[in-house]
Amino acid sequence: MATSPHNKAPRMPGEERPSSRTTTISVSGIHGAHQSTRDTNSIIGFPSRKHFRVGGGSKVLEKSALQTPRQVVRVFDEEDNDVTPQPLYQAHPAAPHAKSCRLFLDEISAGSASDQTTATGSFTMPFSRSMFGSSRISSQSTIESLNEEIEDTFSKWEMPISFPDVQGKRNTVKEHVAKDMLKEVTDVYISEADSISLLDIPSTLMSVEADDTEVIMEKNNQYAELCRTRMGNNKYVDRAVQTLNGAAKNKQVQSDSNVMVDSATTVTSWDIYDALIRPEQHEEVSSREQEGAEYPGAAVDPNSGAERSASVGSTASTASTASAASSLNDGEALGSSLNTESDLQLNVLSETFQHCLLVMERSILRNTFQPELAAYRQLPVIEESQVKPGTVEKRQEDTESPRSPAVERLWAFSYERSRGRSVSSMAWNKINPDFLAVGYGELGSSEQKAGLVCCWCLTNPTWPEWDVQCDSAVTSLDFSSINPSQLAVGMRDGTIAVYKVNSQHNVSCVLSSSQCPNRHLNPVWQLRWTQQELNLTGDEMGESLFSVAADGRISRWFICSSGLDCTDLMKLKKIQHTKKKAGGTRTESVLSALTPGLCLDFHPTDSSVYLVGTWEGLIHKCSCSNNEQFLETYRKHFCPVNSIKWSPLSPGVFLSCSSDWTIQLWQQDHQNPVMGFSSTQTAVCAVDWSPKWPTVFGAVHEGQLEIWDLSSSILDPVLVQPAAAGVQMKSLLFATQTDCVLVGDSDGQVTVYQLKNLRAGGSSQVDLLEGLICSASQNSFKKHTQM
Amino acid sequence: MAGTEHDQVEETLKRIEANKYVIGTIVVNAEGIPIRTTLDNSTTVVYAQLLRHLTMKARNTVRDLDPQNDICFLRMQTKKHNILVAPENNFLLIVIQKHVNSLRTFP
Repeated sequence: MATSPHNKAPRMPGEERPSSRTTTISVSGIHGAHQSTRDTNSIIGFPSRKHFRVGGGSKVLEKSALQTPRQVVRVFDEEDNDVTPQPLYQAHPAAPHAKSCRLFLDEISAGSASDQTTATGSFTMPFSRSMFGSSRISSQSTIESLNEEIEDTFSKWEMPISFPDVQGKRNTVKEHVAKDMLKEVTDVYISEADSISLLDIPSTLMSVEADDTEVIMEKNNQYAELCRTRMGNNKYVDRAVQTLNGAAKNKQVQSDSNVMVDSATTVTSWDIYDALIRPEQHEEVSSREQEGAEYPGAAVDPNSGAERSASVGSTASTASTASAASSLNDGEALGSSLNTESDLQLNVLSETFQHCLLVMERSILRNTFQPELAAYRQLPVIEESQVKPGTVEKRQEDTESPRSPAVERLWAFSYERSRGRSVSSMAWNKINPDFLAVGYGELGSSEQKAGLVCCWCLTNPTWPEWDVQCDSAVTSLDFSSINPSQLAVGMRDGTIAVYKVNSQHNVSCVLSSSQCPNRHLNPVWQLRWTQQELNLTGDEMGESLFSVAADGRISRWFICSSGLDCTDLMKLKKIQHTKKKAGGTRTESVLSALTPGLCLDFHPTDSSVYLVGTWEGLIHKCSCSNNEQFLETYRKHFCPVNSIKWSPLSPGVFLSCSSDWTIQLWQQDHQNPVMGFSSTQTAVCAVDWSPKWPTVFGAVHEGQLEIWDLSSSILDPVLVQPAAAGVQMKSLLFATQTDCVLVGDSDGQVTVYQLKNLRAGGSSQVDLLEGLICSASQNSFKKHTQM
Repeated sequence: MAGTEHDQVEETLKRIEANKYVIGTIVVNAEGIPIRTTLDNSTTVVYAQLLRHLTMKARNTVRDLDPQNDICFLRMQTKKHNILVAPENNFLLIVIQKHVNSLRTFP
């Protein structure tokens, strides 16, 4: 191996010289880094590089070192620091090694040639320097010899230039690894570089026996002669030829400029949200916008284009609304007949507009009725002028100092259609405590039979949420608790209808008893929805509707295929009072054995027990399970019992009022009333317990409203509110969550009164009531015994 | 159905306009053009323009805070009166209402 460069040496020079140069240059691509580094090293780094050639030599040595892995060249400077120059190009060990060696040597020669061309003068310098360099190398003697020989044989660039060092080196190397070399097998690949042909004109061949052979041969001879005599021939003169550049002509071309349109949009986080989450609504809105875009409306603001992109609605609307002209428009746009379009728009808008209007109306009215509504809700009323807390406290003290109870009129539910009608019944919605159903009788003076049912909401005291005209005067109504949107209405002609509120203003009559053969033919005086747990057969039943009518029947209604159907629960038979009357004639009516029932109330806890008040003044306690007999009969009144109410807070206690000017308080175990109340000599139309205070109840006479508080006085009502002039109070309803009372009158108004400072409250009052009852009953017992 | 709804819309709108405390009512469509008003032209246009900007700003504020939220109603209580704005996607309903009594209570 070591001798291989030797073998190649004689072959290299001579004709290979120029080719070697070319090949080296062409091949330099392979070892381009090599070559270039060589050059750079040679050109630039001379003064600093102490051992350029050493590097080259060491490079060769390194190459040989690749052959013989043991040999590693290390370079040390004065301080013995390892400053071995790292090869910039690590040749592949298995690569064509021999070739690389050869090429390397070529490079050296080429490099030297290039050096020769560039910086010949300084070339010799480093050699001497490197010779005298203070660096020490393992094979310094050989380097010195190398340098000397390079100097001497510089121009030759024969292989022996570097061969000696290689040879020397090889010799030394050879000594070291002779044994190892025998073991190793190194492959040497020799290949040829690609040749580049610059000009290749294939020669034309002709047969000697062709026809025009002689002509061709003559030409060939002439040409050969020409070539020979060309040099000194005067026939031929060297002449330079230059192509002429044609005259340039400028031509200008212009194209239409692209129309640029500025487009911008503002994207907000909710725009992105809209686009992602609600694409369907997106399309709806955009389709509606398309309709809107057809109007030739003018924008009010010329900058509205940019605004619209950030405006309400989807960003897709920008495309459709951009079609609107952007000319500035003043108020004359109103006059410029948008009337037809406004109608169209209102139609388009009406669905959502209605809701908008509703909210707006309620807000307006809330502003109007703010103090009253706040009082209803028992919110503190802050006066505007009061800012300092001191004065506020004083004000509070002022209001608290008059401790006497008072009634304050807050507002009245009334609207044009209800005026003149008498309020017959009122009922709160079971779910929504702000919702009130009011039934109106017929118009006072006229013969018109139609009745009216209105549903009022507290937020709008000037217009009912919905109203329905009924065929005849409404006498009673009640909301269902299972289906809170169902309202049962009983009418004067005996029809019971169930209305259902489907949507905002859509009320439909779901059921009607007009087809039922068992229906009442007389006014239905009271309706009640009650939840029954068990019926006779032991099944669990839901809610059922009970009615009591003037024909003396108490019926339970259920839904059958053709509407409502009923079963009679009880028939109110007349009972003869033969005991009390001495020798009186029988008062039994011949026409009917049933007495009209006027009112009905279910026990608050035991829903199978109910009380019914009759025309004759008798109160019967009945059970749903017993169709024939009354459980108890309470006699006291001698006029029609107008209203019966169980006390919601004291069990077993109920009130009854009748047209005999009295109100009686009963305890269900006693046959006689515990207490009786009378104040004025007018019929008591309605009575109701307060839901909050056990000892408070209200009664409505025709001319006044009375609030009784048994804890303060059992003889006189605590509060008396006279009716407005010319108006009779007809019905009464306590508000469930606030201390307000609703009174319906004969003019179609439902007035809301607030009770103030009643000083009654708490569950201890129940005991108080019971104590009163006990004492009263003992007194009555004593009276009885005394009598 | 559309007819009855339209009637109801008309009826409600008339009731609002007829309320004794309401100074004026303006209905503005999606493009900012007042389509119905009880005030004079110049006032209407000014109100419509300004309140439209304000409503947009209010809506942007609400929705930037929470994209799932949206504005339902805008009410401005000024010294002289109340300005109530009910925005919808397509239109704007503006009502100017005067204060009912000297006692201004705050809910």
